Amino acid sequence: MKIALAILAAAALGFPFVFRGPYPQHLAILVMLYALLGSAWNLLGGFAGQVSLGQAIFFGAGAYTSTLLAQHAGLSPWVGMIAGALVAGALALAIGYPCFRLSGHYFAIATIAIGEIAGIAVTNWDFGGGAVGLFLPVGTEGLLSFQFHRSKLGYYYVLAAMLLATLLLSAWLRRGRAGYYWRAIREDQPAARSVGVPALRFKQIAIVLSAALTACAGTFYAQYVLFIDPGSVLPLSLSIQICLVAVLGGVGTVIGPLLGALVLVPLSEATRVLLGGSGRSLDLVVYGLLIMLISVFEPAGIAGIARRLGLTAR
Amino acid sequence: MSFRLALAIAVSAALGARAASPQEVVIGAVYPLSGGLAKVGNDIKSAIELAVDIVNDDIDLPLPLAKGKGLPHLGGAKLRVVFADHQGAPEKGLSEAERLVSQEKVAALMGSYNSNVTATASQAAERLQIPFLNADSTSPLLTTRGFRWFFRTTPTDDEFSENFFKFLDEMKKKGKAAKSVGLMYENTLFGTDVSKFEKKYAQQHGYEVVADVAYDSKATNLNSEIQRLKAAKPDVLLQASYTNDAILSTRTMKELDFRPQAILAMDAGHVASEFVPAVGKDADGIISREVWALELGEKKPVVKKVNDLFRKKTQATRGQAIDMDGTSARAFVGLLVLADAIDRAGSIEPEKIRAALEATDIAGDALIMPWRGVKFDPKTHQNTLGQGILVQIQEGKYRVVYPFDLAAAQIRWPLPAWGK
Amino acid sequence: MTCELVAQALVSGLLAGFVFALIAAGLSLIFGVMEIVNFAHGEFLMLSMYLSYFLNASLGWDPLVALPLNAVALFLLGVLVYYALIRRVLRAPMLAQIFATFGLSVFLQNLAQFLFRPDFRMVATTMATGRIALGGVFISRPQLVAAIGAVLTTGLLYWLLTRTETGKALLATAEDRQAASLMGIDPDRMFALSWGLGAACVGVAGALLSTFYYVFPQVGGIFALIAFVAVALGGFGSVTGAFLGGIIIGAVESLAGVFVAPAVKNIFVFAIYLVVMLVRPRGLLGKQ
Repeated sequence: MKIALAILAAAALGFPFVFRGPYPQHLAILVMLYALLGSAWNLLGGFAGQVSLGQAIFFGAGAYTSTLLAQHAGLSPWVGMIAGALVAGALALAIGYPCFRLSGHYFAIATIAIGEIAGIAVTNWDFGGGAVGLFLPVGTEGLLSFQFHRSKLGYYYVLAAMLLATLLLSAWLRRGRAGYYWRAIREDQPAARSVGVPALRFKQIAIVLSAALTACAGTFYAQYVLFIDPGSVLPLSLSIQICLVAVLGGVGTVIGPLLGALVLVPLSEATRVLLGGSGRSLDLVVYGLLIMLISVFEPAGIAGIARRLGLTAR
Repeated sequence: MSFRLALAIAVSAALGARAASPQEVVIGAVYPLSGGLAKVGNDIKSAIELAVDIVNDDIDLPLPLAKGKGLPHLGGAKLRVVFADHQGAPEKGLSEAERLVSQEKVAALMGSYNSNVTATASQAAERLQIPFLNADSTSPLLTTRGFRWFFRTTPTDDEFSENFFKFLDEMKKKGKAAKSVGLMYENTLFGTDVSKFEKKYAQQHGYEVVADVAYDSKATNLNSEIQRLKAAKPDVLLQASYTNDAILSTRTMKELDFRPQAILAMDAGHVASEFVPAVGKDADGIISREVWALELGEKKPVVKKVNDLFRKKTQATRGQAIDMDGTSARAFVGLLVLADAIDRAGSIEPEKIRAALEATDIAGDALIMPWRGVKFDPKTHQNTLGQGILVQIQEGKYRVVYPFDLAAAQIRWPLPAWGK
Repeated sequence: MTCELVAQALVSGLLAGFVFALIAAGLSLIFGVMEIVNFAHGEFLMLSMYLSYFLNASLGWDPLVALPLNAVALFLLGVLVYYALIRRVLRAPMLAQIFATFGLSVFLQNLAQFLFRPDFRMVATTMATGRIALGGVFISRPQLVAAIGAVLTTGLLYWLLTRTETGKALLATAEDRQAASLMGIDPDRMFALSWGLGAACVGVAGALLSTFYYVFPQVGGIFALIAFVAVALGGFGSVTGAFLGGIIIGAVESLAGVFVAPAVKNIFVFAIYLVVMLVRPRGLLGKQ
């Protein structure tokens, strides 16, 4: 596990020096972004077993908070990122309180419904730019202003650091008391409760952490693309994509979401590049087929395959 | 071993062939080729491919670069267009634009229909310093960003909205006075933008806005939307809809018996090629702003010739002959404008193409559009010679009715009651 | 006037609601029997609508006449999907089940675009056209026919479930899989049957919808989302609950659209659902 992490970290550090073009670097940024989002989802959906299909709400909260603060108060995106994480955390508490009474499919559908409400509400929210969205002004380049124009290296390393921190946090949590409680809740909530696990509190902790990390990714996205609108940061398809990354990689493992993103993002890009230009959506036909095959033949995800091959310890 | 050798020979032959050919100019085109807007995206793709054929082959048409093969100032180099699919997602538009520049080494970019995707894709072009030509996004915002590398040939929603009210003023002089307008628009960038300008110009021209109905274009029904309009009783309905909601709203208006004196539609869904087939004679009387009409062929024979070629092309590649519409015609012209600039630049160096685009001056006669020509504003890079027309659906055909001096048919006003 | 407006909003909403209800009933049946949410439900609807369209375009068949054919075709599709896909994820974790049907939905939707092209298509001729005027209230005839068809089909389904041996066996399997199999009921066959019946419901709904709604590859998604909410609102697994849920959604959507603002009408739909969730976590008629 540690060796695998070290290899991955070295590969991540060296990647931009081998692949210098903007497109491969963009691809790597997408991989890391989805790995980050998948890891954040995994805290709630994988460790604690609460399947959320509304992660886009938190992503959008991060993107909108930092962007609006930058536009109206001139605040640095870094401050905006913290503020976004706080807003998302508060939203998560508000969502979790009623929804954690639901379980399984009921919880998943409730998060879809809340996600849809958020999407429609922001679309009709004039101050937030409504359907038109918000453009971030192109400002000075640099780490402080969180904008890099001439090369993507700045974005690349900022995101790599964020991802590393998330992975370490998730490994630490998994080993600690929280991880232990979460597993108990996931496997059998009534039983966990009967032996004194404060189930609601630990589910709340999971959703707040998951939301805060997702919001940080949202701020990153806003700074990277410099344009946000409800269609790009709040759609149901994003929530599903996030969940898919974690499921494909291996639910409930630390490295799973990263593996999932490493396979899924290049795969979806490759099918689109190779087959998408035909305009007949053959790429998505293949994509759908692959999702079905994976859920039928390897529900434990890539981490499951790796485990079977003895590449990682449990 | 022999296999590897054969492979090596094949590869070197391919590389050699590429180097030996005079030059091939590659243009990238980022459009919505799958998802909800796939139909529009594929129409655009066919139109661009047709324009490429016209440049590359020797065809006798009074259009830029039609005669002779390829680009004369580049030693007859052929054009090739690489298409990319953005699926309507701004972030994919950005990445596809970057990919086309860095992997496919395109000399210039075109795109992207959806205004919000055009916004991000052109931003990628701006960062990478590659010319970006937009032929079909009408959000006024796009040319106010002060970009150096962004050029737009189509007129914008601002101009189109004002045109509606100029038209209403002229109708007033003809004794068809409308006092109030109702707005109905889909609630994403396109509709919301249009509604803002319509409200602004309604006030300037002295019309009362009695209904303001935004709706979700993915709605399963538009009953409540139409009921609101019916209750507000506007004289004229100004509508901005995509294809599915244009069809649905027209049918619902009939079912709920809502009939204003006139419907002025903002292009898009109301001029899509499946609109009239889907609603049949219920479409009659609807007026839409247009950038183009097949009927322009009566005054400009080249329009009809190009449309015949387009039908042939779509029959061959998509198994179904499709008529050009405003969107495909603009994409067609967009490619020719870009090719013309590359040819005048005599180079595929981005800065030279950019300079050539700035110097573009194409006369209206050399276009299949009702425009006075193509000439970009030196600052905003918006085409200053574009103009819109109004068409009315009469017996299932789009007839040009305004400006009155270009009109090919008499305008019918008011709309007849349903069932008459 | 206002009175007329309310009446019109209610009538329009209910007419739409009955069709939502039929789609939701099929979804709920599948869930009730085997606890799997069919994310490809909307795509089944889309395929049924295409069937109506192509029968109409090539053979001139009225969708209403060809309706039994839709039901049979979709029944077979449902059974096929069960044996080819669902049976393999029966014992898999819930997430694998979600993504099996989600993958199917992506696959079918884009296969449809590949085969049928992205164009919007509309059935050209059907006997159900025009409208009926009742005072100031207008009723669209195709929508009325669809609503009646939806009520009849759900009634038939209800009768099948409660009054026939097979139906009772199906309900018994839903109640307790183990006990049912001890009584000699083959759960595998019952699962296949529930997929067949669930899909046949959308088959009928697709034929009814195609008389007044256009078909395109993405058409299913819009209806499926509403059906999910209807099912969750009424209670997963309860066919009557889902039916009730569909009708409530139709009415709420329409009233909110007329009296609040059309652009946010779906917020009310989702909000009503959330409120119900708070009071009754398993829906209006779900097993609490």
